[in-house]
Amino acid sequence: MRRFTKAALLCACMTSIAQSVFADEAGPVRIGYSMSLTGIFAQAAPSQVNAYTLWAEEVNAAGGLDVAGEKRPVEFISYDDQSNPANAVRIYERLITEDKVDLLAAPWSTPIHLALAPVLSRYQFPMVGNTAASVQLREVAPGYIWFPTAVIPDKLGVELAKLMKSEEITSAAIMANVSPLSQEIKTYLIPALEAEGITVTMSENYPPDIRDMTTLISQANAGSPDALIALSYPADTFLFTGQAKELGVKAPFVLALVGPTIDAYQKAMGTAADNVVTVGHWSPKQEAWPKAKIFFDAYSARYGEAPDALDSALAYMSLEILEQAVAVAGLDREALRAEIATATFDTINGPVKFEGVENTVTPTSFLQIQDGSLELIWPQAIRTSEFRPKTAW
Amino acid sequence: MAQMKRYSYDLPLAGLVLLFALSLPLWAGDYMLGVGFTLAMWLAMVQSWSLLSATTGYISLGHAVFCGIGAYAMVLALPVMGIAISLIFGGAMAGLAALLIGLPVMRVRGPYFVILTFGLAELAKAIVMQAETSMGQFSRLIFNAPSLAVLYWVMLALAVIAVAAAWLLSRSRLGAGLVAVRENEEAAEAVGVPVARLKTIALVLSAVIPGMIGGLLTLRSSYFDAAQAFDPVLSFTTVTMAIVGGLRSPRGPFLGAIAFVLLSEVLWLRLPQLYMIALGALLIAFILFAPRGLAGMVSRLFASGDKSGKVAGHGTA
Repeated sequence: MRRFTKAALLCACMTSIAQSVFADEAGPVRIGYSMSLTGIFAQAAPSQVNAYTLWAEEVNAAGGLDVAGEKRPVEFISYDDQSNPANAVRIYERLITEDKVDLLAAPWSTPIHLALAPVLSRYQFPMVGNTAASVQLREVAPGYIWFPTAVIPDKLGVELAKLMKSEEITSAAIMANVSPLSQEIKTYLIPALEAEGITVTMSENYPPDIRDMTTLISQANAGSPDALIALSYPADTFLFTGQAKELGVKAPFVLALVGPTIDAYQKAMGTAADNVVTVGHWSPKQEAWPKAKIFFDAYSARYGEAPDALDSALAYMSLEILEQAVAVAGLDREALRAEIATATFDTINGPVKFEGVENTVTPTSFLQIQDGSLELIWPQAIRTSEFRPKTAW
Repeated sequence: MAQMKRYSYDLPLAGLVLLFALSLPLWAGDYMLGVGFTLAMWLAMVQSWSLLSATTGYISLGHAVFCGIGAYAMVLALPVMGIAISLIFGGAMAGLAALLIGLPVMRVRGPYFVILTFGLAELAKAIVMQAETSMGQFSRLIFNAPSLAVLYWVMLALAVIAVAAAWLLSRSRLGAGLVAVRENEEAAEAVGVPVARLKTIALVLSAVIPGMIGGLLTLRSSYFDAAQAFDPVLSFTTVTMAIVGGLRSPRGPFLGAIAFVLLSEVLWLRLPQLYMIALGALLIAFILFAPRGLAGMVSRLFASGDKSGKVAGHGTA
């Protein structure tokens, strides 16, 4: 009987050793993230999830993720955070302590990135962020989170004023969603415009769930400004464009903040979308970034629509950075942290390097929809096309 | 007799549950602790809401307003007062807000009261958002928040206080007066119950703990923005839990909170849409088929061999 027990124990031990060895060698690298599949940010989720999925498919098709020389397949573990930062905190705690994932990918939105920063520090788990954009990002203690975005409101305000000045704009009307990003940009934009000698004819706020913008647009039109700046979010960007067309806005410079980079915007708005300026730092047209066009084509072929030049591009970039860091540092978190913090990465948006939490290489840029494609029109150094005045809706 | 018997059974059980809950941070991982924090939070929230709505029958659909006010007051006070006092300050401000809101709001009844509480909560949210914007603040980060274990213990304390307050209330003159308001407000007033004053006291009592809950939730995510702090989903979930748990039993909030937190752990992470559907379906099912909630079902179960319990069980249905 005792011998039988011993034999059974031995068998059990050997099986478990075999299993663990097997798991170490051939098991996939597990990457966890949370996504706003429901709730107020839900409409933004596909542009990011699609980019993640495309990246994983490409990596697996190429034989797997290079983990310091060893190729391993990747798989995602993801949960819905319902657009709620508190839920995202719980999900990342779960991913780290229960699911014991190997790597983390970023969620959507600034609030959720900001809420996660302390969690990452507590567990000393590095994560490359993507869609967060705020001057507050610089308040986050550097260490385990990085932000590749070039949409930082203070720089953005200054660059937008310079772009407008170079196009000989002398007056501007501003309408801003009360959401944090819009308000931050407005705070930095107005002094920058005044410094460039551009008169602000109107500056109004509106609620996030606005249903009718005709009064605001008419009020803006009344001052006959050269520029109409809508610091809008996707839902109100669609509303703004439709109603600006109905009311026949005459301003030659029209900017909408978040939304015009979404493929559905151009499809829904048709000619009204043409020559609308927006915020973004990536374009497939930039030949200095050879990976940009490859990503654009692969994404378009896979999903039947163009990638979002802001969110899809940032989401993909964040995984490119992670991929290149893992190839050098492996999965050891401290080694990985050191590599992300110091190396220069080659992405679809050109080179990226971090100082503290910020990407200091990618310039703050502006895009314009021209004949159905997104062209970089600012700054001069990387532009793919010249600014075109908006003459028709 | 039935009452005596039930409490002699409930008290040791409650003691065991409390001991278990207190020891959680000593042996459980952070994820379990997070679940415990959520459970304690909902228990405290539903129990506080019950102090007003279950006892008086005035259904508040805007209790998130007190969480929001408490959170905002705490965030503003934090640089001056330190964390512990700021939390209490948040609770006090929520109580003060309840007193101010109570004067006009407690004059209307039924559906008007429900709509007014919801509208006021949204109004307060809009005001705080505008105030933040005009101060050039877009959201606030909180540094050096206490560890999850500390937050958990504080939340657990709030839950215990809320339960104790409900228990004391049900045995006090104040509680008896409030039940009289629920059963027939005119009759109560006619026999000399100071209706207006009692209702306002109940509202204030039910606001203080949610104020501190709001502060704790903000510390938990170390991030404040008005839309999140005043999230109306907080209000809706509270009402749903209370109804599913059972409005007229001291066990109701406990059962409702446990059922929902467990349900959400099972469904929410994997099947979010199904979770919302389950929430709605459960609410409808309970209102139609089990108006006394889980607590009613439990007491019927235990009372099946006990005639006196059974009579008591059907008495209020």
